[in-house]
Amino acid sequence: MNLAHVHLLLNHFPTIGFGIALGLFLVSLLRNNEDLRRTSLVIFFLISALAIPTYQSGNAALETLCSGPEGSCPPGVSMATVRAHEDAALPGFALMELTGFIAWLGLWQFRYIKRTPRWNVASVLLLSILSFGLMARAANIGGEIRHPEIEGTTQEQTAADGTVHGVVRSLGMYVTGHTWVWPSCETLHFVGLSILFTVLLLVDLRMLGVGKGMSFAALYQLLPLGMLGFALNLVTGMFFFIGAPEQYTKNPVFYWKMLFVMLGAANILYFMLLDEPWTVGAGDDAPLTAKLAAGSAIFLWVGVLFFGHMLPFLGNAF
Amino acid sequence: MEFLRAIEQSSFSQWVTGSSSVLAFPTILLLHTIGMGVVVGINAGIDLRILGLAPALPLAPMERFFPLLWVGFWVNAFTGVILLAADATTKMTNPDFYVKMGFIALAIINLRIIRNRVFRDPFIDKKPITSDVKVLAVTSMIFWLGAITAGRLMAYVGPVSGLTK
Repeated sequence: MNLAHVHLLLNHFPTIGFGIALGLFLVSLLRNNEDLRRTSLVIFFLISALAIPTYQSGNAALETLCSGPEGSCPPGVSMATVRAHEDAALPGFALMELTGFIAWLGLWQFRYIKRTPRWNVASVLLLSILSFGLMARAANIGGEIRHPEIEGTTQEQTAADGTVHGVVRSLGMYVTGHTWVWPSCETLHFVGLSILFTVLLLVDLRMLGVGKGMSFAALYQLLPLGMLGFALNLVTGMFFFIGAPEQYTKNPVFYWKMLFVMLGAANILYFMLLDEPWTVGAGDDAPLTAKLAAGSAIFLWVGVLFFGHMLPFLGNAF
Repeated sequence: MEFLRAIEQSSFSQWVTGSSSVLAFPTILLLHTIGMGVVVGINAGIDLRILGLAPALPLAPMERFFPLLWVGFWVNAFTGVILLAADATTKMTNPDFYVKMGFIALAIINLRIIRNRVFRDPFIDKKPITSDVKVLAVTSMIFWLGAITAGRLMAYVGPVSGLTK
């Protein structure tokens, strides 16, 4: 199995997953079923997390597939179609991430004010339909990348395709071509890291016993701040990725970083969905499972920082 | 300059920058980054709570996080000195380094004022926060933001050794 296979495996999840979640969401609206609505919000959130490595594995697939001289593609594969697929995928991916964020916020509000506000339901509905449509279009173009019917394409033609730049590639060249972009994104990436650490340390160390005067219900108000820190780092991180994808697609340390991000996304759901952490009032000792969830959250996010930092040292970036 | 060069060429500095061991430069810089997350993370939590985020959260128990904050600070002071010694001629001649030190000094003074004004007050959670304390929270965030920015830009502006990229 190579990295192109990974993309072929992963790329079904965003479209199919969002399709299923959208179906459940619509049924929950028709039947006014809160449990079903929360289930669909959870699926939206988890699929949007999975969409991150799915998008990234596309670049890995491209590098595996078109590895001829100067990035030329094998006969039957059109670089123009690859770039069109990429250009269709990025806006779909961006909207999918926004949907995941708003869906997560809906879950958070449900727990906080006991219902999902109307604006949240409307936003999730609109955004998920839009991102599902854009992703389906990207998938459709992706399916056309291999053309067995034009097997006779000459090597000259495909080599010339190597110079085809879509919008995403142009954006990537803007990132690496302007000296201010990379350092600015780095700075914001560190700010986002610190904001994420604010919530990570206060919530999870409290569960482990530091500052027991704080109840979980009060700390719960902080969770969207942590998610904003993550969102800032996802946006700035994607600028790095689009700027120099080959530093990440062939870097095993980056795979570990993304795996830990996925596990971190699953971890936060413990604090959103289960009743157990809510039993922790001011002065209370947290139950063992809450402590385990808190300890693993610290392990996972420090792990994300560790792998990110080690990209050039243990991995092969830069 | 001779002095800085001597520090930079000491066997310890040479080990930090020259060793292929992941325990040398990579791990020292990693600890510096984790320390930053701890110091700025906890500080930002206190500042944002003062400014009205998460109003249900009591301020008093946040004082329990001060020891961890100081651990983070001293880890960074210690690893920072090592990173400075390893690259003394470059960093000590980079104006951006002094900008970073200035921001950190202001941020620490600011933190001590907040501790004396807010956490030494026994009625801290029983009365509304005054606007001068809110100003201190804003300046604290500005100083830490400045320190992060100046620190990150040391890899890009002024004399750059290429070490930290």
